[in-house]
Amino acid sequence: MKRTLDQVVDALDIETFVLCGDEEEARQIGERLLAELNLPHGDIVFLEFNGCGARLRLRSYLHRPGQGYPWLSPQEES
Amino acid sequence: MKKVLLAALDPVHDNAVKLLNRKLSELGYQTIILPPGVHENEVIERAVQEQPAAILISRTLGYQVAEILGRLVDLAEAAGLREHTLLGVGGMAITRELGAELGFDATFTGELDIEEVVAFIEGKYLAENRQKIRFRHEKPDITGGYTYQFKDPRIEHLLDQITDQILEWVKGKTTPAIERAKIRLAFLEEEGGNFLDSNHKRAGEYLERYLKWCGPQVQAFYREGKLPEGVRRLNAAEVAKLMARLKQTDCDSPRLPPGGGKPLVFVQYGTGCPLMDSIHIKTVEAWGADGVLHFDPSWGAQQEGLLEGWLSHQHDGTILTLENLRLIRSAMQPTTLWNVRGHRGLNTPEVQILAATAGADLLKINIPYGATAGGSDPARLTVDGVYSLRLAAQYGLPFDIPGNDELSGVPPHKTFAGMLVMVMLGLKLGAKPIPKPLLCYSPYMQIEGQMEDNYVDMNTAKLEVWREIVDAPLWPGEPVGFMTHTADRIQSAVTTAAHVALAASLGVDAVTMASSDEAYSKGAISAAARVDTLRAVRDMLRFMGNSRFQATPRAALIQEQLRNEVIAVLEKVAQRGDFVAAIHEGLFGNQQDGLYAGRVGRDTVMIA
Repeated sequence: MKRTLDQVVDALDIETFVLCGDEEEARQIGERLLAELNLPHGDIVFLEFNGCGARLRLRSYLHRPGQGYPWLSPQEES
Repeated sequence: MKKVLLAALDPVHDNAVKLLNRKLSELGYQTIILPPGVHENEVIERAVQEQPAAILISRTLGYQVAEILGRLVDLAEAAGLREHTLLGVGGMAITRELGAELGFDATFTGELDIEEVVAFIEGKYLAENRQKIRFRHEKPDITGGYTYQFKDPRIEHLLDQITDQILEWVKGKTTPAIERAKIRLAFLEEEGGNFLDSNHKRAGEYLERYLKWCGPQVQAFYREGKLPEGVRRLNAAEVAKLMARLKQTDCDSPRLPPGGGKPLVFVQYGTGCPLMDSIHIKTVEAWGADGVLHFDPSWGAQQEGLLEGWLSHQHDGTILTLENLRLIRSAMQPTTLWNVRGHRGLNTPEVQILAATAGADLLKINIPYGATAGGSDPARLTVDGVYSLRLAAQYGLPFDIPGNDELSGVPPHKTFAGMLVMVMLGLKLGAKPIPKPLLCYSPYMQIEGQMEDNYVDMNTAKLEVWREIVDAPLWPGEPVGFMTHTADRIQSAVTTAAHVALAASLGVDAVTMASSDEAYSKGAISAAARVDTLRAVRDMLRFMGNSRFQATPRAALIQEQLRNEVIAVLEKVAQRGDFVAAIHEGLFGNQQDGLYAGRVGRDTVMIA
């Protein structure tokens, strides 16, 4: 396989905690983070703001069901 | 029994060898345990005296671990012990790589697995291939040991009346689905393949007869090669790559309940792609699931006829074709139980045939549920459902009866009344029913405020009332904890695990559980989300062991009320004297409950 990301079966989740003022700010941070990481089909799966910051889970579907899957190919083939 | 020498080559940490000492002694082994702080030469001296079958060493501290253990191996070698004494090592400081490098016969890491240790002592352990130890040997029978005796004669009598009427009503009736099923059966018996295979001499003839009973989309697929929107054919190379990949895997794993036993744990799949499904199935097998349930797309259930070939699409539910089913079955461990649902659509009888042909272990049929909301017309599904139950009996496959109409807002007593009709109907036709009461926080419960204090009382009552009525297996689903999940994966895993633990505590036979993506609706369920909840369930069941949840006295009151309300519904249905009309008139759930009779396949019942 050419890329390590090819070995991800379907989704890549990123969990983190960000300092922010409210839920909306957290959402914007999450969206900017997805864009900066240049991950395809990005989405905020979960967001919970309390007091000083938010717990965030971002998701990118690298390989959706029904597409071709690079992980099916042995390393030397790709 | 064999003699085993146990020693902690560690100044203080000897928990592991003490635990091994107890467990091995209980199994009848003659154990010799040395005190902590013992030196490697003392271990070997004792071994020379005792000549044990195995020496098991534990080491927690990382300091000089390689030097100490290396000396022990050298001394064992020099004393001539290696020819007849096995050398095993484990503990916090030990990795598989270190154990192998130092020359131990086996290295044990992680939580103590006594079966693995015993296999080692008995010479069945292969260090280079740990998977040789099999955790699962056969498929369990969920219905085994149940008599299906009704404990309440009043309920039995009402069900008798209702089901006699159903069986009388379906006599002499048929549907396009039944006609297709007969053609499919005859074709399978004669040729055993698919309609589009040119190697089958009479495939064209069978196909023409089949298409007479199909809808326009299915006809266009076979006649013009036109795929429904969003559907893609998988090619042989993709399938071959999957098979090659799966050949390298062995997902045999210890069961989730500690020490085995109840409940069997099932996981639903239906990513839209049989290749992705296969990988998800391997994942859940590896993390301890006992079985999986196939979910098909709703559009497939709403058209007359089934497609064929390896097909995928990018929506929920995996297309039901014989080739897809066979592919998925071939990916599973032989011991994995497999359920295929087909009870909500226009292809119910044919789905039972394809499922049984592909190797399914369980079927899913519930007429009152399948004939409501987005489901089939009640008359149509009653005729199809009875035919399907006959097929289930003929195949000797149990069928489960999901109670998911509760999710529309139907109160449990109405859902249960419908499920009970299915139990009796199945029994009369020679099939083996498995009721699946839903453990959930349903809309009805939320609106009525019936579960505000806790989730234990209502769910306990919902299971216990079944025990009070009939001696049948119980399999809460589908999945447990419905409407308690959020997109927070930790919360979702916890609530799933709590519901599984409650079900296990109440001695159910099986349980269907969700992934931690249950409440996330903007994308497919991920493989990691499946692992989340299976991992949580394993630890929750370990935490519970044989202890039990204690419901409050309110559970008994709910149970009594439920039973009385179930009887009241059955009385109304029996009095109505027309099962199909009873569904239309909302006796099993009406518009106020959020339910309405299904419309798909209306006016398609024919005189045979």
